[in-house]
Amino acid sequence: MACQKKEEKQIDQYLDGELSAAERKELFAHFEKCPACAAHYRELNKTVMFVQSTSHLEAPPRMTDQIMQNLPSRKKKPGWRKWGRRHPIMAAAAIFVLLMSSSMMSIWNDQSAGQIAVAGGENVEVDHEHGKVIVPEGEVVRGDLMVRNGEVEVHGEIQGDLTVINGEPYLASAGHVAGDIEDVDQALEWMWYYTKKFTTEAFTWNTEE
Amino acid sequence: MDAVVKRLIKAIKKEDDQDAFAELVDLYKDKVYQIAYRMTGNSYEAQDVAQEAFLRAYANLESYDESRKFSTWLFRITTNLCIDRLRKKKPDYSLDAEIKGTEGLSGYSQLSSEELLPEEQVVAFEMQDWVQTEIAKLPPKYRSAIILRYIEDLSIKEIGDILDLPDNTVKTHIHRGREALRKRLRNI
Ligand SMILES: [Zn+2]
Repeated sequence: MACQKKEEKQIDQYLDGELSAAERKELFAHFEKCPACAAHYRELNKTVMFVQSTSHLEAPPRMTDQIMQNLPSRKKKPGWRKWGRRHPIMAAAAIFVLLMSSSMMSIWNDQSAGQIAVAGGENVEVDHEHGKVIVPEGEVVRGDLMVRNGEVEVHGEIQGDLTVINGEPYLASAGHVAGDIEDVDQALEWMWYYTKKFTTEAFTWNTEE
Repeated sequence: MDAVVKRLIKAIKKEDDQDAFAELVDLYKDKVYQIAYRMTGNSYEAQDVAQEAFLRAYANLESYDESRKFSTWLFRITTNLCIDRLRKKKPDYSLDAEIKGTEGLSGYSQLSSEELLPEEQVVAFEMQDWVQTEIAKLPPKYRSAIILRYIEDLSIKEIGDILDLPDNTVKTHIHRGREALRKRLRNI
């Protein structure tokens, strides 16, 4: 035990690397004439070194595989079924979103994530190379337009709402959107993914079984 | 490292890229497992906690703030899970009591001590056991601070972020843990 509270505190500060050079000098000068404090410091220092010398452990070799097998999976059917059982509310929400979106005219032109997906606009141009969806000048989208994973350039007119998920809406000076322009964030993105997965899974249910 | 992690997280968030997530697991699994093992003192439980930590990270990735370090967030999930489990169990830790069910470094725990001579290895193993046993006797709040500081080699600031504690509290926990270990070390 250090002889005084002050020394004890200084030893802690020293071990935390918080003493100035002058304070350090003072502390070590104290150790010269105080065996109790010197021993206290030595013991603490040794303790730290022992703990630090502990070998670094490695995770069990199959851990990554095991974790990956338990992830809700996009490709394996049991994955989403299990996910649906474990997250009934999210599953219900996903179905809700699915029903909402299927009331529009949905043309998912590509099922793979990251690809541009357009729902509701029959006459829009999809520029896959630049990741853009264009509503050309003079063109009128009569309902809502929803675009995922792409920029949207509106030169023409949208009579309903424009929803851009994971992309950027851009309204040209001549363009016009009658409804709301919504830029959807990541929270919905997650649910969106599950909706889409659910659609894919549901529609391939019989063929793959 | 940071750039790699950022890229992987982006791929997971945007495309649900599971291969990217597997890479992320590979990058952090040893550290997560190590924290869990040192906290629980049990390799079976450590595996379970580590797995759950990664699954939670995957499921809640949207809530991860990308302006902060990913490891801080992941270690926070890990230590919280460990502390929850320790709370649910009978408190078999105390500053004096002997701990039961503390496993030695066997089973899945692999040591990187191949470079030592056989005799040195034995001594090293005994020391390892001693450290593990004594750490497992610390109350969880001191235990987590000591593990993150001296085994994971993290700064006070990072530890504060992980444990959601002010720096001064982290320091106090480290001081108390260190002092408890010192008292026992004197006797061997
Ligand atoms: Zn003294």
